[in-house]
Amino acid sequence: MSSRHAGALFALLRQGLTLGVDYGTHSLEALLAVAETVEENVYAIDSFRRTGEGIEFALDNPPLRVGAFGAIRLAVDGTFVPPERVRWRAGEGREWRTADSVGPATPLWWAPGDRTEFAVLGTFGVDGRPSTVRLELRSTAIPPLVWFEFTETLEEKAPPP
Amino acid sequence: MIAPPPAIHPPLLTSRSAAALLDGRGDLELVRETRGAPVDWGGVMASCVRLTGPWRLDLRSGDSETSLPATTISAGLSDGLFVSRHRWGGFEIEQRVAPVDDVPGVVRSLRCTRSSGVAALTVTSRFVPYLLPVLVEGIRPHLFRLETRDETLRVQQRTFGLEYRSRPLPELLFVNRGSWIGGRYRGRVEEIGAQYTLRVDPSTPAELAIVLQGGLDRALDSRAAAAAAVLADPDAAARRVVTADRRWTDATPTFRCPDAPALERAYVAAREGLRRLYSAPGDDLTGLVAGYPWYAAIWGRDLAWMLWAVLWLGDYDWAARSIDSLLRFQARSALPVLGGEAGELPMQVAPGPIFLYGTSDTTLYFPLLMAGWSAHAGAPVPSAWIESVRAMIAWGEARTDPSTGLLRNGGEAEEIEAATAALARVRYGIDAPDTTIWDSADRRAHAVDIQVHWWRALRAAAGLVGDDRSGSAERWRSTADRLAATLGREYAWPAEGYLYDSLRDGRPIPQVRPNALRAVSAGLLPAALARSVVARAAADDLTTPWGVRTLSAKDPAYDPQAYHAGQVWTIATAWAADAAFAIGDAERGLRYLLTIAERYGDEGGSANECYRGDRPEPFDSCFLLGFSVAPFLTVLFERLWGLSVNAGAGVLTVRPAFPTSWGSAALDNLRVGDGSVGLDWSPERLRVRWLGPRPLTVRTADEVATLPSGQSADLPLRPTT
Repeated sequence: MSSRHAGALFALLRQGLTLGVDYGTHSLEALLAVAETVEENVYAIDSFRRTGEGIEFALDNPPLRVGAFGAIRLAVDGTFVPPERVRWRAGEGREWRTADSVGPATPLWWAPGDRTEFAVLGTFGVDGRPSTVRLELRSTAIPPLVWFEFTETLEEKAPPP
Repeated sequence: MIAPPPAIHPPLLTSRSAAALLDGRGDLELVRETRGAPVDWGGVMASCVRLTGPWRLDLRSGDSETSLPATTISAGLSDGLFVSRHRWGGFEIEQRVAPVDDVPGVVRSLRCTRSSGVAALTVTSRFVPYLLPVLVEGIRPHLFRLETRDETLRVQQRTFGLEYRSRPLPELLFVNRGSWIGGRYRGRVEEIGAQYTLRVDPSTPAELAIVLQGGLDRALDSRAAAAAAVLADPDAAARRVVTADRRWTDATPTFRCPDAPALERAYVAAREGLRRLYSAPGDDLTGLVAGYPWYAAIWGRDLAWMLWAVLWLGDYDWAARSIDSLLRFQARSALPVLGGEAGELPMQVAPGPIFLYGTSDTTLYFPLLMAGWSAHAGAPVPSAWIESVRAMIAWGEARTDPSTGLLRNGGEAEEIEAATAALARVRYGIDAPDTTIWDSADRRAHAVDIQVHWWRALRAAAGLVGDDRSGSAERWRSTADRLAATLGREYAWPAEGYLYDSLRDGRPIPQVRPNALRAVSAGLLPAALARSVVARAAADDLTTPWGVRTLSAKDPAYDPQAYHAGQVWTIATAWAADAAFAIGDAERGLRYLLTIAERYGDEGGSANECYRGDRPEPFDSCFLLGFSVAPFLTVLFERLWGLSVNAGAGVLTVRPAFPTSWGSAALDNLRVGDGSVGLDWSPERLRVRWLGPRPLTVRTADEVATLPSGQSADLPLRPTT
């Protein structure tokens, strides 16, 4: 554990205690429930895998914001992947689109609960260390960038049965 | 690209603790364009928690199947309930849907008849569980716990829960469309279903009633008996909500203006809209939710704007309880993980209690609002409020440059991000560097309206605290004076005859936004500049026939569908009206009010949050927002009628700004302290009727009269030219 991480944890602990004392443990519990729900319901657990062509992962919900997104960018370990190498589809069996096909007139529509699968072409995570995937979305309605990151170790995709 | 569905005017059904969201076709479905894409907001909200997504009923008889909406022959609101009638396969069905308060939830009942022959009707009720506070707009949880218990179905998602209870009991339950025998289930749930077979014959109508209620899971057990009582008589529970609404409406002022019937209708619509937002969601919280469908939580900023109108409508008790609710969550120390600094008021509050901070303006509204409450109610501000005011001002002083008095806005979201960055396995955020009322726009570091709010807060706080040995009031007045001088010196934009939108790194931000109008309303500008600001705002790059844009169409950053960089907002239109009246331009002020009135009329009683900047089309818009009704009401009372009140001193000032073409106007049942006043205006005189425990002094521009209780008086008015 880095000292920065430990410091942050202690700071969180202090704030958690303050919340519990000032506003009651119910409040702490409810705030934690919201945070956990968001954390566990966007990135689909264990979906980050290596494929023959690159990597894949899935999201079970849009990251925070819903609506139409007119631009998508994806970075792996800090390097943005060319948009034509980033593909997504609205669940198994649906048509794949590439990120370079997304624009203000041809946005990605994302509603709560929509599962979206991403496939990224390229070579990533070859050293066995966890990779960080960052997704950046630009809403057509509200300008500020929406971003989402997760850090996971790549699983080797099981071969088809 | 498929076009989003057209905007519709949904019937909004709310109680103080719940809402049914539906499109009026028969089911609880409501597809709305949301941030540019269609999203279904139908279902049940209760205790500021979205309990369900769409809730649908399917019908089956013999080999035929259909959905309830496919059989609708009529539908609409009737006496506060949604009533739809259906005809299918020889069945006549009447459905009633109503939110209730006995338990936070919605009752849905069917009454099925046939004119001939006996037949079985199978009804399948299906809903998508959500169970997450409405404030988390983009997430639908997938993992739930289900349990059948005491003839109910319980659904739990962490600390949130719902109870589904019906009469008769379902004969079958489904999870994800697969049959479920009941008991306990834990896992991924996309849909929950319950099936009923009703035997319908001509002599005996068959009935099905369902109560779906919830919010916090821990509260469900204690509500079991109440939920059973609602199920036993759903109409009685619904009627109690309707009765409470009527009682509230009857206690509010009536407004009559024969020369502008659209304005009169708009007053009724706005008052009704505000009532729909009243919320007592549990956990001892009182307030008004910001809007529907996706802002159904108590937002501190929105509450502040709404409570001014609540005061004019005479509901002091609700206003005081709302302020108390928010003050419970005034940060007592720094809470970076929630974006809070000591003294700060929360951005949002919901049962849990769940609360978040991180706005630059919410805290600033409340000292003046408290003073307003005291003036209306005729009661001293509670001492606990005074202590809170001290903390609010200390919060503001910590963000203030002492040499200029300017308060710094911005950086709030970054602070939350920094506080949580190293902690979570997944991280997410929105790169909004600033949180003024236009919180998706970067208006750092000294947005003009923030400075106006700060100036007002300082002066109001000084008045509330009074001159004591601490010298606080004197210091605050001094800061306010410095701030006013800085505003006059640094924000004037001669080339535009306007005010810069902000100052950053010592440089002005040359953007024409409606926020500058707040300085006019506050009386902070010299008369010539104030007139120039109002005139500039009226130019067609900012003012459209359907309202006022958030940013000039000439600005390089203008985008007609950007939330805060080009869209038209009704609250901005109300600001323009307020500022126009403030400089004495009543004709222009009235035009802005009529612009808003026209929107209400076109929207069948809704009051959209915002519209595209290039055409009068709601876009990314809650169909009802407190911002779109409350400021309109406040301007109507304060500017059109020219009312100000000091109930403690027993004084009401009336300086109407009606157009010269008007022949009459009336306002009845206006509450002043513990009394009630009626005003009947004609160009020649103002007739005043007063009922109250002690005399009321009424001031007009020309006359002063003191009325004992139960008396009327005619105050002559000087003709306007």
